Amino acid sequence: MALLFVFPVAVSVLLIVSRKSIAKWLVISASSVLSILSVYAYFQIDGAVGITVPYYINEVVAGLDIAMLLYFGWVAFREKSLLVGILSALQLGGLVYLLSLTSRGSAPQLMVDKLSGFMFILINVISGIIAIYSLRYIDEEPCTSFRKRFFLSIIFWFIAAMNLVVSSDNLEFFFLFFELTTLASFLLIRFRKDEVSRQNAVTALWMNQIGGVAILAAIYFILYNGYGEPTFSTLLANASATGILLPLALICIAALIKGAQMPFSKWLLGAMVAPTPVSALLHSSTMVKIAPFVLLRLSPAIKDTPVATVIIALTAFVFIAAAIGALAQDNLKRILAHSTIALLALMMMMAAVGSPVTIIAALVLMLFHGISKSMLFLNAGVLERVFHLKETSDMDRLGESGPFTAMVITIGFMSLLLPPFGAFIGKWLSIETLGAYATEARLLGALTLVAVACGGAVLTLLYFKVMGLLINRSGEADRIKFEHTGPYYAFTMYLLLALVAITVFGLPLLLTQYFVPVASAVIGTPVNYMVQGWNLALENIQLPMVPLLIAFLMLPATIITAMFVRFKNVDRAKEYMCGEKVNYSFASFYFSTDRAIPYFYTVGILFFVALVVVAML
Amino acid sequence: MYGFERIVKARMQRRIGPPLLQPFYDFLKLAQKRQMLVHSAHAFLGIMHFVALWFALAVLLLGSDLILVIFLHLLATALLLLAAYSTRSVFSHLGANRLAISVLAYEPVLILIAVAIFMLTGSFNASAAFNHSTPLLYQMPLAFVALLLVLPIKLKKSPFDVAEAHQEVTGGVELEFSGLFFEAVYTAKWLDYVFCYTLVYLFAGNNIILGIGLMLFTFLYLNALDNSTARVNYKQMLRFSLGVSFSLALINLLINSLL
Repeated sequence: MALLFVFPVAVSVLLIVSRKSIAKWLVISASSVLSILSVYAYFQIDGAVGITVPYYINEVVAGLDIAMLLYFGWVAFREKSLLVGILSALQLGGLVYLLSLTSRGSAPQLMVDKLSGFMFILINVISGIIAIYSLRYIDEEPCTSFRKRFFLSIIFWFIAAMNLVVSSDNLEFFFLFFELTTLASFLLIRFRKDEVSRQNAVTALWMNQIGGVAILAAIYFILYNGYGEPTFSTLLANASATGILLPLALICIAALIKGAQMPFSKWLLGAMVAPTPVSALLHSSTMVKIAPFVLLRLSPAIKDTPVATVIIALTAFVFIAAAIGALAQDNLKRILAHSTIALLALMMMMAAVGSPVTIIAALVLMLFHGISKSMLFLNAGVLERVFHLKETSDMDRLGESGPFTAMVITIGFMSLLLPPFGAFIGKWLSIETLGAYATEARLLGALTLVAVACGGAVLTLLYFKVMGLLINRSGEADRIKFEHTGPYYAFTMYLLLALVAITVFGLPLLLTQYFVPVASAVIGTPVNYMVQGWNLALENIQLPMVPLLIAFLMLPATIITAMFVRFKNVDRAKEYMCGEKVNYSFASFYFSTDRAIPYFYTVGILFFVALVVVAML
Repeated sequence: MYGFERIVKARMQRRIGPPLLQPFYDFLKLAQKRQMLVHSAHAFLGIMHFVALWFALAVLLLGSDLILVIFLHLLATALLLLAAYSTRSVFSHLGANRLAISVLAYEPVLILIAVAIFMLTGSFNASAAFNHSTPLLYQMPLAFVALLLVLPIKLKKSPFDVAEAHQEVTGGVELEFSGLFFEAVYTAKWLDYVFCYTLVYLFAGNNIILGIGLMLFTFLYLNALDNSTARVNYKQMLRFSLGVSFSLALINLLINSLL
């Protein structure tokens, strides 16, 4: 277990000093070792295991905290950002005050359970693949070789910080690692060091720092109300104590900010300026996944409280607002970013509802979203580097020049959308369970349901709009020939495709053997499931396996076959163009949402205020 | 039914109209025509649109989950969209863009209606609505009005037939299909009729006579509307649908969930 924390740090340090040829092998071997370790760790974990760290580590953590905040202060000075400065000072003051307040307790600082194990696999396997991909991508980046190694090094540092975030129980530790991921993302976003990158990096920094302040405030309230040591376990154990809602709400706010919910979505959208592997990393396996993770951790405590109600309303709103926002985008990466925000909202909503099946839905969405999004973002990188394409409206010839990439992107979109891919199962479970929720909380439940269903429909339309451009080709190009994109790119794509295939065909097994135990660990009581022939039931929700199987043959299989199928002995005709002989380039329709965005943000802010208000009452 | 519709429409215009079985004659003729296609993916997706629509309809008639049905129907439509996008044909693309906007116009309303049905019957299953003892029409009349307002969009009837608008985009998504491949898309349109009238029938609960009455009423209403109105543009359609129909369905849902 400890290897998962120490090893990426060691790799990170080694990468800075090693030569290029060594760095290559180091990254590949480290990624595979980490993946294997994470899977091994998952199977090793049985129940929650507390890890008490040696005494001096506490001091190291405190020291690192202060050093990091001082660094933030320096950034504020250098970038002349008053906001970052104020927030850093606030955090520093709060931290020093809290350190003077607390006496070191005996409770373990780290705690690893099935949920952490689940996160380990998500983090290490997918980040590993992204790291391998980055070898090639960053090699083509116009920068010094030191910066290239530095980039790879931060990725591993990020992995280490993420592994630690998901295993911290002590909130002080959690704060450090939370802010370490902020720092890592800050460095990655400003990697290109141009004006826009620096600005967006600072935006990401201050937004996430608000989360840090919220965590510190939560620690303060836990100590002030005298629940005991500031740990997640304390929060869960005191779930019904008076005044507990405020620290819970504060930690949820930190999570919602990490998860880029409106009005804090700007940092994630701004992160697009970084090299593409960074986007893949932030969106799929690290950073934003802290958000649903934290809500899952706290879900037994916040379930059925006003805090959960506000979070559900907020995420329902964000889901549909982000889906509509995505319709207005042309840039592929921006489309993906909006859909990430929407899906994160759905995951958090599911975690906040907190019934056994919704927990499973959240977990399913987290894992499959991770796989699909990394695939899509890495392909966005390939499009930039190999085909020099960024806007979807320019991609109307991709089906002819790069059919393989077009196909992988199509599969990526389908895996976010269609049955029987995991993300569809997640959405479907969400809608079914929201129905049960709607019978309890009538109006809110019904509106949430509508938001999810409509948002889902909008996203579907959006994905098909993009897929339509990818499949586009003229009548002469009936037979397709795959292009070569280079070994690293192709290898990572094959890996991800294999992962998708495994998850599709192993879905019933994964659901019962992988997601159910994790969900049981989250809620603390075993989740019932039943397998009978072709039927799979989770609690009282039936999974329609046969329709799903037919739907698979019907939809994803159809779309992929459509790329290869050839009708013989049929005459070909040219497209009808009223007899004109003009070459057209095709675009698609967009909605202008510029006017709506300020309203979205205002509503988002109102929700955040409401969250604090209901927690205080 | 399609043949019957053409007769009724013609009689409304004081024409005699084609024979009742004209669609089947069309079918035979199309089957004899020389097979032509733009490229294989396009033709294949057209056929699969037809198959997927059958599947969605079957799931609905078997009384399964309404949300699943609406979603499957959306995907079937999406296959047609994809087919239209896959060619490098201008009119096909225009039609597909318009079709996508039509979907955006009616889909939220259908979802609101499905959720309202859920709030009343306590189940997403269409069979629950088929077996509901009091007709849903009496419990949610506003939803029925909303459905009536979006049906012309779905069935591509005037004033909301922007997606196929023969005078503007020469049939839009259907344009590049011919022969048997067109037959698949053509027949898929009948399936859409069956699908829509089944949705109408849902409002009658287990009252068969009322159900038939509703279907007849809807039939006459659609044809009268088709005959008496001129096409609006897609912006007006979207604004009307999301402004009026969506609001009606939303008010209906609010009433249903508060009572």
